[in-house]
Amino acid sequence: MIGSLTQRQLRAVKQICWTLALCVVAIPFVFPFLWMISSGLKGPSEIFGQPSLIPTSFRWNNYLEVFNYQPFARQYFNSLYIAVTVTLLTLFISSLAGYALARLRFAGAALVALFLVSALMVPEEVTIIPNFFLIRWLGLSDTHWPLILLPVFGSQGIVGTFLMRQYFLALPKELEDAGKMDGLSRFGVWWRIALPMSRPALAAVAIITFLNSWNLFLEPLIFISSLEKFTLPLALSNFTDPYGSPLWHLQLAATTLAVLPILMVYLIAQRQIIESFALSGVKG
Amino acid sequence: MTARDERAPWLTLKMREAMEAWLFISPTLAGFLIFFVGPLCAVVWYSLTEWNLLSQQSVFVGLDNYDDALFHNLDFWQVVRNSIVFAIGLVPLNMALALALALALSRRFAGVVFFRTVFFAPVVTSAVAWAIVWKFLLQGEAGFVNQMLAGIGIHGPNWLREPDWAMVAVIVTRVIKMVGLNMILYIAALQAIPRDYEAAARLEGASNWQIFRMITWPLLGPTTLVIMVITTIGSFKVFDHIYLMTGGGPENGTLVLAFYIYQQGFQFFDVGYASALAMIMFVIVMGLTVVQLALRRRDT
Amino acid sequence: MKSVLKSITLSMLALGMMSSALAAAELRFTVWTGNEAHLAMLNGIAESFRETHPDVTVRFETIPAGDYTQKLTFQLAGGNPPDAGWMMEDAASTFANAGVLEDLAPTLNAAEGYDLADFSEPAMGLWGADGKVWGVPFSTSPFVIFYNKDMFDKAGLEDPLALAAKGEWDMETFQEVAKALAEATGKWGFEFKDGQGYDTRIMHALMPPIRAYGGDVWANQECGFDKPEAIAAVQQLHDMTFKDKSIVPPGENGDYFSGNSAMTINQISRASLMPDAGFNWGIAPLPTGPGGEAPVIGQAAIVVFTAGRQKELAAAFVAHMTNEANVAKMAQFFPPARNSVLSSEAFTASNNLIPAEQMEVVGNAIANGKVLPSHERSPQLLAAMKPRVDALWRADANVEESLKTVCAAIQPLL
Repeated sequence: MIGSLTQRQLRAVKQICWTLALCVVAIPFVFPFLWMISSGLKGPSEIFGQPSLIPTSFRWNNYLEVFNYQPFARQYFNSLYIAVTVTLLTLFISSLAGYALARLRFAGAALVALFLVSALMVPEEVTIIPNFFLIRWLGLSDTHWPLILLPVFGSQGIVGTFLMRQYFLALPKELEDAGKMDGLSRFGVWWRIALPMSRPALAAVAIITFLNSWNLFLEPLIFISSLEKFTLPLALSNFTDPYGSPLWHLQLAATTLAVLPILMVYLIAQRQIIESFALSGVKG
Repeated sequence: MTARDERAPWLTLKMREAMEAWLFISPTLAGFLIFFVGPLCAVVWYSLTEWNLLSQQSVFVGLDNYDDALFHNLDFWQVVRNSIVFAIGLVPLNMALALALALALSRRFAGVVFFRTVFFAPVVTSAVAWAIVWKFLLQGEAGFVNQMLAGIGIHGPNWLREPDWAMVAVIVTRVIKMVGLNMILYIAALQAIPRDYEAAARLEGASNWQIFRMITWPLLGPTTLVIMVITTIGSFKVFDHIYLMTGGGPENGTLVLAFYIYQQGFQFFDVGYASALAMIMFVIVMGLTVVQLALRRRDT
Repeated sequence: MKSVLKSITLSMLALGMMSSALAAAELRFTVWTGNEAHLAMLNGIAESFRETHPDVTVRFETIPAGDYTQKLTFQLAGGNPPDAGWMMEDAASTFANAGVLEDLAPTLNAAEGYDLADFSEPAMGLWGADGKVWGVPFSTSPFVIFYNKDMFDKAGLEDPLALAAKGEWDMETFQEVAKALAEATGKWGFEFKDGQGYDTRIMHALMPPIRAYGGDVWANQECGFDKPEAIAAVQQLHDMTFKDKSIVPPGENGDYFSGNSAMTINQISRASLMPDAGFNWGIAPLPTGPGGEAPVIGQAAIVVFTAGRQKELAAAFVAHMTNEANVAKMAQFFPPARNSVLSSEAFTASNNLIPAEQMEVVGNAIANGKVLPSHERSPQLLAAMKPRVDALWRADANVEESLKTVCAAIQPLL
């Protein structure tokens, strides 16, 4: 009796030690967020003053200045609508292709799959220069088109395709066969039966695609040059005054504005989001 | 004649299915050809020219760009070395930390959800934001990291100003950013391992370490391979992180291939040379992937 | 399904329309200022252009200064060229050499009452050759010392302007004063331009002292960093940074405008920040050295792009923008290069932040100064220099050796 009690106590102590250790490891994961929020409220000289997480005075004004300094609301909207467009298009295109690869028999299916997978191995820096000229040839420089087309048809779309394919493979075929009996076309089966059953996979593709587009940096850097067409990551990297010197406090306030909403959504839906990524990696 | 009539619809059905398949896959395939295959062929051609981005004039120069990179350029080999050091630093650190965290968080205990959420949070955060904040935290004397180190009596280096420390800094901050992804992949794989294996081993008196060594680790093999390939390729793709934290400096200490391509092509207008670099990068990444896959296959 | 497809198609169309649609006679003009006063002035100039060109509007497009040249490159190379725009001096030779800048001489010479010869000759040096004019400088801004009067008073020191008046403001005094200031105030004595002397502004950090010592970074295709003058100058900066600890070292922050450094080097446009700084301040010339007085000028010009569709119109607008009246108007923000405007009393009174006697410092510097070096391969030069100059900024660096490495790296490019 006594022995088992001490063993339970021992286990509790062990657990507390583990938790403490994890807390220490967690510091570099959490601290940047706290520091970012706090410094976004400081004045320019205080950011490098005494290290303190609590500003001496809260400069809420920083948040207003962000919007005065550049068309930040517009840039926010750009990021949002581009990410939504990319997500919708990717869902559409990759679930179609994923369905074909999973369900339809055709000569060359394996070869197509192999080709698509091999594209995932190639960093986009390899093809960025020809793509730059391609976009110029299409007359789409300094528009949002490349930020939509390149991810949808690039590795993001391919990841989506394979995620969908894997999910369709695991679905029972019977319902679809029944649908075909009822006279649905192939497209109808896909739209009416297969898609509604694959909500988890669609959600996973949507989450990953949205975040990827939202955080895209190299493509906007190269293709977008007017301020009002910037996306958020580009806008964040660009807080310099008219003479080129950095405006740290505004940059941090803007970064906070860009990061917090995503973080909030993440905290609310963390389970779903983490699972989406787990799904993508296993299939990758 | 009648037999043929019966067979005909069956044939067309098969053809019909194939046609539908190609139709379904055509948007993806078209995009793939236009935005990937085409450019990949183009980059081979570009790499054989001398092409000024600004004046738009190009001349065929054969293998000059490769010759220049491999034998004459002062920076090229340092850049390759940096990219490899970056990968060698990042991949094992990332995987070891991911596995350790996954082992700690694959059991149920109070707070496990909290910790998973915390370790995964940087993954959903924009790399730009992450780099910006760490750049501030890693400033010299006045940076928060060094202030904290000073608090426990350590005189921290001037992180982003000394080439070796800057490399350490970009690797570690990148690992913190991305380790959550590999962690959850490992957690998923760990949870898929049947409990009975462990229970049986315990009955035979195996220690924790033995269980890990003999059961868990071998069963994680396929996951480890996937993670290793993904992380290695990912380490060559890193651009924004370097661009914003160090700009390739100091003393070119963190100048990696992805950034070097951008610099040569878009800042120095040297499209031909940048394309040759892109080809070299392609070969390196493909080579590494093949080697990793082959090594694994021999292992198992 | 149909509705989904339809809405996707519609949003695509909307997207497409957002990006096209250029009015017939609209000039796109890129600038790096987002400052409202600057833009109001520019729009005023565009408005007055309509007197002669009634249906022409000019749209000023702001590109952040930090990335200006890079973004401009993307626009030009991406087939989306602006009609005209500002250009920084370090990009001048590269762009002119690539043939993307339009020769403005025919338009300017033909413009009524336009006297091209009124522009001071050194100021035009970068922007033309053999009778061709690639750009018209609108800002010829000398580097001056900004000082924090309060910190000088606290340390009980004479300020640089007073020292300069007595003829004692030289590199040696500069070092002593900076050291005394750092010791007396516990802050920094001197900060490089905008705290970026180790990053994006290597040239602005090294150039003025090297010239004060009588050297140059390069001249006649020969590297000057390893000449004795340059070595002595850089050695002094190195000593100040690591021995005296009076210059803000790499990786630290000692922002002058927040009162953390007693002096900095910058251009007078920066005076616009001073009313908010919360301390008394002044400007003084750069310290003299063994090479005598050596003012350094930073420049920016207005250019027209050959790839633009409305070159003639754009050139006509540049002629209008840089006529005498408009140059005088712009002088309130950007020091002019027209002799007639420089010599006018209106110029010394033009900047309401800077007293007339200090504005004379500015005027003198413009008249005698040398512009920052430019080179047709300046991006490559800077990139080749950067890692080698990084090595210089270590406490234990051997200055002479480091500078020799710099020369070894850039000489082939010169």
